[in-house]
Amino acid sequence: MLMVGLKNTILISLLAILIGLFVGLITCFLGRSRFVVPRAIAAAYVWCIRGTPMIVQAFLVFFAFPQVIQMFVSGFKIDPFTAGLITLSLNAGAYMSEIFRGGIAAVSIGQIEAARSLGLSQMRTMLKIVLPQAFKICIPSLVNQFIITVKDSSILSVIGLADIVNQAKVYVGSTYQFFPTYITVAAYYLVMISVLMVISKLIEKKLNYEKK
Amino acid sequence: MTKKVKVTGLCKSFGDNEVLKGIDLEIDEGEVVCLIGPSGSGKSTFLRCLNRLEQSTAGVIEVDGFAISDKKQNINKMRESIGMVFQQFNLFSNKTVLGNIMFAPVELKKLTKAQAKEKATQLLARVGLSDKANAYPHELSGGQQQRVAIARALAMSPDIMLFDEPTSALDPEMVGEVLNVMKELAREGMTMVVVTHEMGFARDVADRVIFMSDGVIVEQGTPEEIFTAPEQQRTKDFLSRILNKE
Repeated sequence: MLMVGLKNTILISLLAILIGLFVGLITCFLGRSRFVVPRAIAAAYVWCIRGTPMIVQAFLVFFAFPQVIQMFVSGFKIDPFTAGLITLSLNAGAYMSEIFRGGIAAVSIGQIEAARSLGLSQMRTMLKIVLPQAFKICIPSLVNQFIITVKDSSILSVIGLADIVNQAKVYVGSTYQFFPTYITVAAYYLVMISVLMVISKLIEKKLNYEKK
Repeated sequence: MTKKVKVTGLCKSFGDNEVLKGIDLEIDEGEVVCLIGPSGSGKSTFLRCLNRLEQSTAGVIEVDGFAISDKKQNINKMRESIGMVFQQFNLFSNKTVLGNIMFAPVELKKLTKAQAKEKATQLLARVGLSDKANAYPHELSGGQQQRVAIARALAMSPDIMLFDEPTSALDPEMVGEVLNVMKELAREGMTMVVVTHEMGFARDVADRVIFMSDGVIVEQGTPEEIFTAPEQQRTKDFLSRILNKE
């Protein structure tokens, strides 16, 4: 029973991290646009996500918005996993866009000027010089965000996602085995996050061309 | 001789701060021009306008007859033949020495990877750093980094080289190795515009020395004229300050 929950927790966290990375990168680029509208969209998105608790966002996605959509599309329903994935991805994406923004800003202007002076376009300079360096700068903060995303997935139990916390709650409801159950749950989280940390250390080590 | 660079009425302002106040200048092919002058006189800004790292506010800059100051000009194409060397070297920190030199020719499809590698190896030999091909920039001294930066610019086979205070960030004992590479380049006939505080270099290598102050060209002439018989008071003051320090 816990294993089903564990599987759901891992699945939704991994998917949310991947989608979040994508959304975060897009948002970061929108935020750097020359035009006002994309910048405003990016800023509004980050503002809304950072300005509200995730539990409220989950309720909005699972209960509130479907109610509005039902007025137009009768019988519209959303399952807890989809709603949870949307919530968690949007949440991760907003924070990751800020991490990317900081990483790009931290790449020195000299690197950009050197590439431009050789005749590279702005786009190529971004892709080949800035992003690889920014990515390296971002890794510790990104991993931190991955960890938060894994743990925040537990909040989604409030909309009925069958994650490990929800499964544990159901289990202790009938067995009253609080101690062994929750210790096991905690241990699973520790293992998941340790794996993330080990992977990130390996990447950091591989990319550590500059020991500064 | 053909005019390599032709600058007419160049002005540049940063907000309310007028840095260049109308510069007129022509540079011949193969000429080595050294720009000297006090800090804040606009030397570096002028140099950066020549490859449009700074967009000029007014005036026309022509390189090889093409108006580089024109916003419609394909700036990336033009920059391929204008090499630039920076005060802070600006080597790509995530690439090896070889990677730095090969990067632009390969990326811009001027050379195949094999050709670029061969060329990079030759250039490294020329700047005396063959043994550092696989080192990363942070493993090199300042002087070595700057020599790699020159090789990186040369890899695009530019026909004009801009140097923005190339030795100002170096420890004194490393200045010589960089200047030697530049002297070599000048001897081979490269058109060079050098912003420098190295008066010895200007005297030995330059065909023409230009003294700038407060955003204008105050005086220009052969090194002989400028260093031994400057006409303007501002030039005299500057030179006496600099040369006494040396």
